[in-house]
Amino acid sequence: MELIFKVNGRTEHLELEGHETLLDVLRDDLRLTGTKEGCREGECGACTVLVNGRAVDSCIYAAMAAHDAEVETVEGLAENGRLNPLQTAFAESGGVQCGFCTPGILMMLTALLNKYPQPGREQVRDALSGNICRCTGYSQIEEAVEKYIAQEQDR
Amino acid sequence: MSRVGENLVRTDAAGKLTGEARYTVDYDGKDLLHGSLLRSPLPAGRIKSIATARAESLPGVRCVVTARDVPDTRAGWVLREQPLFARERARYEGEPIAGVVANTPEQAIAAVAAIELDMEAMEAVGDMERALAENAPLVHPEWKSYQPVSGEDYPRHGNIASELVADNDEVDIAFENAALIVEDEFVSSRQYQAYIEPKSAVGIYRDGRYTIHTGHQYPFNVRDRVAQYLDVRPSQVRVIGHSIGGGFGGKLDTGLEPYAAILSKLAGGRPVKLVNNRTEDMLTCPSRENAVIKIRSALDKQGNLLGRELVCHMDNGAYSGEMAFMPSVIFHLAGSVYKVSNIRVIARLVYTNTTPTGAMRGVSGVYFCAMQERHMDNIADKMGVERREYRLNNLVKSGDTLLNGQVLDDADLLRKGFEKMEQVAPWSQLNKQKRPWHGIGIAAGTWITNSMPGSVQLKLNEDGTITVVTAATDNGSGAVSMGITQIVAEHFGLTADDIIVTMPDTDIAGYDGGSQGSRTTHIVGRAAGIAADDLKRMIYDVASDMLEANRDDLEMIDGKVGVVGYPDSRIPLENIALAATWSRGPLSASGSYTPEPVPYNPGCASGMLFPYFPTPTYHVHLAEVEVNPVTGNVRVVRYIVVQEVGRVINPAGVRGQIQGAVAQGIGHALYESLRIRDARYLERTLEAYRLPLAVDIPEVEIITMEHPHALGPFGAKGVGEPAIILAPATIACAVSDALGRPFNRIPITPEDVLEVIVGKEKQR
Repeated sequence: MELIFKVNGRTEHLELEGHETLLDVLRDDLRLTGTKEGCREGECGACTVLVNGRAVDSCIYAAMAAHDAEVETVEGLAENGRLNPLQTAFAESGGVQCGFCTPGILMMLTALLNKYPQPGREQVRDALSGNICRCTGYSQIEEAVEKYIAQEQDR
Repeated sequence: MSRVGENLVRTDAAGKLTGEARYTVDYDGKDLLHGSLLRSPLPAGRIKSIATARAESLPGVRCVVTARDVPDTRAGWVLREQPLFARERARYEGEPIAGVVANTPEQAIAAVAAIELDMEAMEAVGDMERALAENAPLVHPEWKSYQPVSGEDYPRHGNIASELVADNDEVDIAFENAALIVEDEFVSSRQYQAYIEPKSAVGIYRDGRYTIHTGHQYPFNVRDRVAQYLDVRPSQVRVIGHSIGGGFGGKLDTGLEPYAAILSKLAGGRPVKLVNNRTEDMLTCPSRENAVIKIRSALDKQGNLLGRELVCHMDNGAYSGEMAFMPSVIFHLAGSVYKVSNIRVIARLVYTNTTPTGAMRGVSGVYFCAMQERHMDNIADKMGVERREYRLNNLVKSGDTLLNGQVLDDADLLRKGFEKMEQVAPWSQLNKQKRPWHGIGIAAGTWITNSMPGSVQLKLNEDGTITVVTAATDNGSGAVSMGITQIVAEHFGLTADDIIVTMPDTDIAGYDGGSQGSRTTHIVGRAAGIAADDLKRMIYDVASDMLEANRDDLEMIDGKVGVVGYPDSRIPLENIALAATWSRGPLSASGSYTPEPVPYNPGCASGMLFPYFPTPTYHVHLAEVEVNPVTGNVRVVRYIVVQEVGRVINPAGVRGQIQGAVAQGIGHALYESLRIRDARYLERTLEAYRLPLAVDIPEVEIITMEHPHALGPFGAKGVGEPAIILAPATIACAVSDALGRPFNRIPITPEDVLEVIVGKEKQR
């Protein structure tokens, strides 16, 4: 089966058997290893990517379902080789520790912020209900979002 | 400009935020092969036969390996008891029995499924009670033949893997004379580290040596363990570190590394990658041990603690790992917070046919503190004394000693911690504001900074930057990416961008005791300071020639050396490095550190002993909880930590450690449990194992008490663990307060809460 889709703005053509998950296609076929596998059952959220702007657990998402879609991964966030404002806010707030959940959390928050540019803390917490971070206890992640919002307002 | 005490961005942040950071699972290459393990389906069973022919004939399969194909060794951190692959019998569900190498992961998994394993089930010793029963089968019938790694044996017999006894006849007299005796039993369940990156490893056998790629907390332990298993000298094994996707003690001993190494050799030397799926990871991870503690205290009329007896049973699982030492943690903690005139400690590590347990963050201290604090609440209640007041009246003081005779020089910091807490959360006011289904808990604790040795080599590069060569690992804590980086930058007045820290490589860096016991910033930071002093001496020697000045008149400011009082004279490190390289040779210096042993009484106990309690720190926590009487859910609405830290190197980093540790403590207190039925885990996926989510965790209020340690780098002590050792204690006390009933167990699940609310007795 042929999968044609855009990943981080670039059109990709792949020949698949059909049973592959989006996560496996990203990591193994396209070598975009920033997206992580933590549980393979849609529980931890480490594999979160955007499909047409919507956050999905790529470990339980059929790759073929992304046919004709636009997929965004963590590798697509940086702008001209520099951290984007959300990534910068994470770095400055201490929102990253081991980093294994980070790509998924960044993508989930990217989807949230695209839809709601100024979410409150409860809204951020709710949005992260499908993303487990074992290191930070979440506060500095929530602050990173607040820092990002404040900086966007000043822009 | 100061680098210590500043919120510098961790050096690995950009890589982790862009997806560029390389974890072991991201290792790739054209010649990479993939492995998978056949694991015991039974918690206890005799292996009658293993037929591999069918598996070997499957497409893409390179080799199928069983115990027959590998050295007949037993390995272990403390006791050499564990075979690489189970031979005659398997002792826990998940124990490796065979391994496969194939071209793809799918082929390897298919081949594992095609191995024909004939096993006969044996009685599985599923819990400690069964293990200690007179007619219990032995988990290791051959236990007597096992060799301790140190060469010196320790008390162990039958299903008791390690026993520590600190006896004191005065305890019996205290109980005879007691005005009141208070007893409690506390039950703590198993907690899974649940790092988000499941374990993985890549092994390569080339030129007669094994190279292993792994994101591991303790690369030198991997080196030594692989050498034991494969019967080679440790120097024949090279371990190369990668980014670590969380560890929390679960990645301190070997997991997949020895299998990756031997599978590469038997597959002809190509790299072999092994990756745990989440269920495999849960079934084999050395999780925090479940335990049962019985405590009894003898009191006089005034409530003074005349005597105390502690009997602690800790579940070892099937193999010991480092657990043989853990009874001594209980022993040290017994005298570390409250003054008790005479204490008896009996701590036993018990073999069962369950997954080997291990040292999760705050080893054994987490449930010890929960038990102790609940017991203190119970005593205060029985005495009719206010519980905070009762704690204050019985705190150890500076100059008091632990049970090993070690003097606690700074124990008055406990009282100071209570005072700091009072300033932000006045106790009587909080109690006045109490509402129905609302509870408050307060707890105090003492914790260690692990004293395992560490080392650093500093190289002054010809562009004026400094490379830090060390096997210290950053498991995500920031101990290296912030701590060591900022410490080295501070010594030379450089920026963090001028400091390059290598990834661990046991061929290159000196020995390091791993990211455990809150040690890295303190120990390796000190080693870096020693190296920095030496390197600076060399730099001054060269600069003194260049500046034609007496070296005592020189100063280093912002990476430049000049004559004191003459800013124009300053020359950058780059020029000094170049001058040195082409005149006397490139400059580098090394530093190693392990603290001097603390005086103690060697006759204080029988059993495997950590001789002393290194570099103690002192802490007080307070929690407010709300109980939902309909669902039984407990919500932590306010959490305050007063933590003694020595010196803060990076405030955001310290905060991340405390917030994260409290979150894990809330998890253990309220949700997390690997329940065991018939020697098997009930929780086998992250869906079943309930981890704390963003919606569950309040923002922790943090008060750091700086009390610089004379030998710590700029005064720093360990920070990573203390906040977890008190979180379940504080929450268990708060929930008990909310419901007016004792909760002497962790976790306290909604079911437990509802049972109390509806007045039913526990049926467990």
